[in-house]
Amino acid sequence: MEEFFQQLTNGLAVGGIYALIALGYTMVYGVLKLINFAHGDLFTIGAFLGLTLLTSLGLTDHMGALVGVLVLAAMVIALVGLIGFLLERTAYRPLRNSPRLSAVVSALGASIFFQNAVMLIWGARPLVYPHNILPKTAISIFGMDVPLVRLIMLGTSLLLMYGLYYLTHKTKIGAAIRAAAIDQGAAKLMGIDVNRVIALVFCIGPALGGAAGVMVGLYYGQISFTMGWLYGLKAFTAAILGGIGNIPGAMVGGLLLGVIEALGAAYISIAWKDAISFLVLILILIIRPTGLLGERVADKV
Amino acid sequence: MKKLIHALLLGLVLSLLMAGISWADTIKIGVQAPLTGKYASEGQDMKNIVDILAEKVNAAGGVNGKKVEIIAEDDAFDPKTAALAAQRLTTSGVVAVIGTYGSAITEAAQGIYDEAEVIQIATGSTMVRLTEKGMKNFFRTCPRDDAQGAAAAKIIKEFGSKRIAILHDNSSYSKGLAEETKALLDPSTIVFYDALTPGEQDYTAILTKVKGSNPDLLYFPGYYNEAGLLLRQKMEMKWDVPMLGGDATNNADLVKIAGVEAAKGFMFVGPPGVNDLDDPATKEFLATYQARFNAMPASIWSVFAGDAFNVTIEAIKQSGSTEPAKIAEYFHNGLKDFPSLTGTISFDAKGDRAGKFYRLSKVNEKGEFILQ
Repeated sequence: MEEFFQQLTNGLAVGGIYALIALGYTMVYGVLKLINFAHGDLFTIGAFLGLTLLTSLGLTDHMGALVGVLVLAAMVIALVGLIGFLLERTAYRPLRNSPRLSAVVSALGASIFFQNAVMLIWGARPLVYPHNILPKTAISIFGMDVPLVRLIMLGTSLLLMYGLYYLTHKTKIGAAIRAAAIDQGAAKLMGIDVNRVIALVFCIGPALGGAAGVMVGLYYGQISFTMGWLYGLKAFTAAILGGIGNIPGAMVGGLLLGVIEALGAAYISIAWKDAISFLVLILILIIRPTGLLGERVADKV
Repeated sequence: MKKLIHALLLGLVLSLLMAGISWADTIKIGVQAPLTGKYASEGQDMKNIVDILAEKVNAAGGVNGKKVEIIAEDDAFDPKTAALAAQRLTTSGVVAVIGTYGSAITEAAQGIYDEAEVIQIATGSTMVRLTEKGMKNFFRTCPRDDAQGAAAAKIIKEFGSKRIAILHDNSSYSKGLAEETKALLDPSTIVFYDALTPGEQDYTAILTKVKGSNPDLLYFPGYYNEAGLLLRQKMEMKWDVPMLGGDATNNADLVKIAGVEAAKGFMFVGPPGVNDLDDPATKEFLATYQARFNAMPASIWSVFAGDAFNVTIEAIKQSGSTEPAKIAEYFHNGLKDFPSLTGTISFDAKGDRAGKFYRLSKVNEKGEFILQ
């Protein structure tokens, strides 16, 4: 039983990261119906930018671990958001009225471009975050040692997710985003600047991915230029699992995927872990093609 | 507009001709390596090493009066790309190909070279099957998994383990090595045997499961990235079971990934590391490398590419020919204890490097690999 709870917390911690990355996919898909395949690589860029800023500015030496990490996260969020903005301008906006396949191909191209750019700038070797930034203490819950950092990570993920939910559902700009998601033409007629809304979405989505990259770097230590692919794939799965385009769906999908993986590894087979996750995905898509929570963008008029 | 196109075409034809002329006088040696992709660092080290050696040969006047030209092709650590790279190299007129890293990748290219009668000298492909096929143009400067499996099994037995957990990563290299070792151990001592997915960052779920089987030794014959993460996460779980790795963990980046504290006490079975190479000529070479690239080659595997280049040059020199058949003949029958970067080199009848290689190393308190 203790092992079961241990695996549950393992799964929730990984799932929190999947969920955070999945949010970026879901937001972009919700508004543009475009699967941004470059999203995983924006996550990688976040991790590498974070390391460079951290070591070159010596943030945590000057202002202590907690403030340093927060400042670092803010800087990375801003920079990756900017990259997302530029990506939309150069790779997606010119293709907005083309068949959707063109945009998907463009997204794949952007992904390959980013991956190779990261390799050329930072090199092919895995890089390592400093080991001593986050506290190593573990909290004892029901007799298990849960590292404090995992709880902080899960908490940060949930907080960012809630912030995004608040933005899209309780604010005026959120209403504009939702309106553009339902019908861009009609939104334009209502006086919404759709281009600005899309640009904003492309800042927020990648920025969250970048934040996840910093978290992964700080916690796991090792980052490599190929890491975005696997995380991107998992997050994409999580987004579909929860219902792509649906923000709470991305949260649920991410956490669920993490838990399925951990329990699958524990009770069935480690080698079949990913196969089990994808089997669950296929089953859910057969039973409920819109994902667990459904795509709730267009149907609520 | 038409004139411009004509001018461009003329220029293209001329430059091709020129290129043809300048190529005519060189001996072309191919390097197939993962220059991009997951193991790009290994591939880039391989190419850097071969480049330095080739420059040295050319500065000394070349071989048999001809300059050496290196043609590098990227296989991206991917079998499909490797087949394409092999096809490009065979059509570019190389006499021999050095590389590559990764057994499955070598296997994808092996048949293409053999059919084209081009010599291939693999440098980091240890899977047994590769030399059991009887290809007369295939050689390797790295050792083989069965030798390593035997060495690992011997060390595990000496270690006195009663409960052994074996974890591999499903790659042909890692799975092959795990099975070679497992076959030589008493089946009743193996309490856990399964595979993880390489490329992930969170292995706590897997470690939690392995811990449940309560082993007294964790054997992970996989690559250094995953080994580093396993060590680090094992420490964070406060689980202090000793861990033994295979030769692909013989990479200085392992300690960086795990952190010195977590890496301390980690053991691996492998050929000597870059730091253990104490031949004066090798040391001098490594100093050149260090000066140019600001770092040592991260692993011994890339240094094997230097060995492959050295023996190729020696074979061309001694046989006085650049015909692959004559070079292969020299490798099989002429080459005896040729001194190179990682020691002396001879090939056995199958094309494997002769001699024993494997030793146990341990990571000390400072994070250095110490031969035991």
